[in-house]
Amino acid sequence: MKRTIPLGLLYSVTGSYARIGQACRTGALNAIAAINADTARQVAFDPLDRDPGGNIDLYAPLCDDILRHTTARHIIGCVTSWSRKEVIPTLEKHGGTLWYAVPYEGFEASDHVVYLHACPNQHLLPLLDWALPTYGKRGFLTGSNYIWGWEMNRLARDTIHAKGGEVLGERYLPLGSVDVARMIEEIRATAPDFILNSLIGPSSYAFLRALAELAARDPRFAPDRCPVLSCNMTECELADVGAAAEGLIAAGPYFRDGAGFGSSHEAAAYRAVIALADMLEQSPDTASLPLSALLDTPAGQRSGIDAKTHHTAQPALIAQVRGGAFQVVHNGGVRAGDPYLTGPAPSASVTRLRVIS
Amino acid sequence: MTGPVRIADLGGARAIILHRPHAVVTALTRQLQAVGLQVTTCWPELPAEALAADFVFFDADMGFDDQFPWDKGAAPMPMIALIGSEAPGRVEWALATGANAQVLKPVGDSGVYSALLIARHGFEARRTLAAEAADLRRRLGERQTVVRAVVQLMQTTGSEDAAYAALRAAAMDGRVGLEEAAARILSQPIRPVTKGTPR
Repeated sequence: MKRTIPLGLLYSVTGSYARIGQACRTGALNAIAAINADTARQVAFDPLDRDPGGNIDLYAPLCDDILRHTTARHIIGCVTSWSRKEVIPTLEKHGGTLWYAVPYEGFEASDHVVYLHACPNQHLLPLLDWALPTYGKRGFLTGSNYIWGWEMNRLARDTIHAKGGEVLGERYLPLGSVDVARMIEEIRATAPDFILNSLIGPSSYAFLRALAELAARDPRFAPDRCPVLSCNMTECELADVGAAAEGLIAAGPYFRDGAGFGSSHEAAAYRAVIALADMLEQSPDTASLPLSALLDTPAGQRSGIDAKTHHTAQPALIAQVRGGAFQVVHNGGVRAGDPYLTGPAPSASVTRLRVIS
Repeated sequence: MTGPVRIADLGGARAIILHRPHAVVTALTRQLQAVGLQVTTCWPELPAEALAADFVFFDADMGFDDQFPWDKGAAPMPMIALIGSEAPGRVEWALATGANAQVLKPVGDSGVYSALLIARHGFEARRTLAAEAADLRRRLGERQTVVRAVVQLMQTTGSEDAAYAALRAAAMDGRVGLEEAAARILSQPIRPVTKGTPR
């Protein structure tokens, strides 16, 4: 007889970044189905769905609702860093844990969060290490106007300057805004070697479409001469961008390979549920343990989740959209999560170049 | 002092927590280790090796002057006060002890990383300003030397303006400050000064 454990799902499956929420939720639900169907498992999960609908002010109340009114101690959820930071005080108050399955900008290591996707030493830094020698050192930075865009662009600026490069412009759009004309005009005027795009959702789609239109008129802005680099674009949003995604370059821990996970978001959420099941499997009293104690159990130690930072090792892959799908063009190796960039610098081998054919 | 905050060199840095055993110490240690620092805890006194620490977190509630192996307010590293009671007397003591930043008790899930950056930034700014002030004070003290050198140079250059210009030229030629150039001129026998002697 399985022990059924409630598990919170806190994803916006509607709203401006719904695609990512849907991808994560799919991964979590597939893992829950696999756990529940596995007769060798002692545990089953009962998903408790809450949809903040992309409204930042609903995350903390819905998180509180799960932790206060149910026995669930674990929540898989949040897409934006803003929403993650909103729920941390609630997690702290109730001793809950958030399993966070999307890339973020680093500089956080909450005692109540597991970080299952990439942080900058696993996405942005390997991406710039590879892109600057490949395309040139003059970059233009775009971003959505919140912590992800700001911090990614700050790190990019520092890194580009340290490598002797130049930042030709830095522009932000409010979340959800599609008013990209000014950015495009500035990019046309400055003709950078590459664009780092940290816009999210519809802003990003509108930007990529407008840039593709510019490239159709002026080949200086085609992907071979002025590629768009991204640390948050995955397969789950390609359909929204359409043909304009062609040539886009993204860093990430996983890109769709045959019949595997649809995207790295889906893969990370799936991994979260399986790791949690492995830990809760051990004995009934694990259900009430805080994250720090869970990570101290044998299954916790085997989970690949670092006990100090709660981050995970991730492959640093760089892929380009070709013929409508991502193709890996560079493998930067597996890197431990280093959220504060205080760890040892990666070995020289990971910056090895490979010519794109 | 403004400009970008320096985030480098925290990995492997040594932090000392001067606080009695308490949940505060556990929470601080967790946060510091997540950032990548090495942590030592002690109470009630700082050991001699504290002099080599990169950061000191000290208890502002139960702390007292004799805990520190340096003159009051003259810590050789950034200091961060752990404040429970916000009574003015304790805040005053924390400031006099040299707090560059503070973390409020109880310590929760965050707050340490920004305290490290702010404390280091403030400590370095204070140290830079203190060095600048000491240099300016020293130069002020040399005013009389400068005046005497200008008066001496006037004997060969004829005018005050030309004497001052000659002094500046001597300082630039010697790559020293005006005060040092003045002292050198006064230490030499009087001779005609040529402008812009080739190096």
